[in-house]
Amino acid sequence: MTDHSAPSSNVQQVSGWSALPNSVRVTLLRLIALALIVLTLSLTSEAFLTSNNVLNVLRQTALLFLLASGLTIVILTAGLDLSVGANIGLSACLAATIIKSTGSISLALLAGMGSGFLIGLINGGLIAFLRIPPFIATYGMLWILHGVTYWFMGGETIHGFPADFRAIGSGYLWGIPIPVFLMLAFLLVGMIFLQRTRWGQDIYSVGANREAARLSGIPVNSRLVLAYVMSGLMAGLASLIFLARLNSAEGDIGEAMTLPAIAAVLIGGTSLFGGVGTITGTLIGALILTLVLNGMNLLSINASWQPLVTGVIVIAAVYFDNLSNKGDK
Amino acid sequence: MKAHWIVGTVLVAGLGATANAQTSGGEVLAVFTKNQTNPFFQTFRLGAESAAKQLNAKVTHYIPTKPDSIPEQMSQIEDVIVKKPNAIIYIPVDYKAMVPGIQKMNAAKIPVINATDRSESGEFVSFVGASDYALALESSRILFKAMGGKGNVVALEGVKGTLTNTDRMRGFTDAVKQNPNIKVVASQPGNYQRLLALQVMENLMQSNPQIDGVFAANDAMASGVIEALEGAKRKALVVGINGTKEGVDAVVSGKMLATADYGGFMQGCLSTMIAVRHLRKQPVPKEVIFPPVVIDKSNAAKYSAPVETMACPAWADMPKG
Repeated sequence: MTDHSAPSSNVQQVSGWSALPNSVRVTLLRLIALALIVLTLSLTSEAFLTSNNVLNVLRQTALLFLLASGLTIVILTAGLDLSVGANIGLSACLAATIIKSTGSISLALLAGMGSGFLIGLINGGLIAFLRIPPFIATYGMLWILHGVTYWFMGGETIHGFPADFRAIGSGYLWGIPIPVFLMLAFLLVGMIFLQRTRWGQDIYSVGANREAARLSGIPVNSRLVLAYVMSGLMAGLASLIFLARLNSAEGDIGEAMTLPAIAAVLIGGTSLFGGVGTITGTLIGALILTLVLNGMNLLSINASWQPLVTGVIVIAAVYFDNLSNKGDK
Repeated sequence: MKAHWIVGTVLVAGLGATANAQTSGGEVLAVFTKNQTNPFFQTFRLGAESAAKQLNAKVTHYIPTKPDSIPEQMSQIEDVIVKKPNAIIYIPVDYKAMVPGIQKMNAAKIPVINATDRSESGEFVSFVGASDYALALESSRILFKAMGGKGNVVALEGVKGTLTNTDRMRGFTDAVKQNPNIKVVASQPGNYQRLLALQVMENLMQSNPQIDGVFAANDAMASGVIEALEGAKRKALVVGINGTKEGVDAVVSGKMLATADYGGFMQGCLSTMIAVRHLRKQPVPKEVIFPPVVIDKSNAAKYSAPVETMACPAWADMPKG
């Protein structure tokens, strides 16, 4: 049960590359694209392959990966969650207000995660039970969350949190940034959930063919709700790391994260049509996007050229795969 | 205070129809700002409300729900023209794209005061603003002076292609030209965003072992830079722009060298006063550019008072051009 993407390819008994399951092949190809970027940067910048910079890149990747990992599950069901950035905004502002007024770190964690969870639950309910298309439901949710956040904050910024809280985002354990541990932990949890649990397998089935999944007795609606709840929860967690890293909260804090998170999932090889993809791929996607910024900064590429460079690398990273996949189709 | 402007809007909206003919009190002013997220516009709105209260006028706020949305501000203009306020205080979300909207206001014969961002064309009673160029020039000078006129500097740019960023970077560049021993080791975009600025600064610290000063084109980015420096246990002098509460607090606590104040509250006060004076047939200046106010340790205490408690100065104490 490792091949979720192309059941028919199991039939061919070809040796070598083509014998590998499709999902493994896609991951390997993404790794090659990643390796090419790493190679280019290590040749062009002396600062790139230092342990400091590697940890720096991993810490920056962690935030994007955590957000994108929840989204991966939603996209595997052939869904979409456009509200993750706005979710971060509201969850961060709620957690910030609570930590400021009560001083309690555990209450703040609870508020951030709880708000993320609730938003995910509502999204899931709208999509599974009211049959509202995911794009519309979560796009509507984005606006509602913005409205609530702006009203709640009134254009203000909350800043200055206790050091114990900030450690989640900016602290170290054995010389390694704490967000990196969170990233690895959730990578493992995500892999086990998707590959080794009944629920994870159901997610793939729901995304690949909803009707078939229903007929084979999978509780489609509750799996859909589960997917959006996970996406909401991960946004809630990301909001806490945001707060801890930035030491401040404002209404539009997460907005710039939504598209990069979706892009990380898709660059990682997960299909927008559902049923195909891996959490490892999403990690690679998040790494590629983070490296693009890191590389441009290290090489001091002119501000005017940066959007162009980003666009070209994103498209090239995925085109490269298709190219190597050619013989296949 | 949080829901203040919403209440204001609801309350005042009902009065719009009746207040037309009055000339000495009760004037209805429509105030257009760019978004609900930037604290600058929040202080601008509070300034407008404070002045209106003093002058016995009423303000209604129009704010796009999607920050800086051109179509939304355009449709708000259409709504306002139907409601016919006595005057409009107008900050365009885009200094070029909103020109057709201004033409509509002009055609409806409603007097318009242009504030903060100068519109490319249109007829206005006055323009009230501050010069981004002067703000950046002044804060950069203070930074370079504190660095002893020499050392490595990093610049965090705003959104490429916006008028504000172009002017601010021009001010920074001109200040660099006046200091031959200041070396700009990197100038990278942070798009006025906190998280991006934090990450860019983290990256730049990898390739630049020695950074003595940072010029950030707004306070939110300066705040990201400060977090990055603290995370890496490194020290550099940081300046920002906007004079936000957060920036002033950072100056007071010694984390930030200075921030240049745009005077959002004062701009709100003065625009509103000009609108009311114009309606009451009193003389008004055609243009007022607030001089840059740099907030550093010496004067920060004055600026850290909550903006809700501030009141507009009297007309006589206002700059007149």
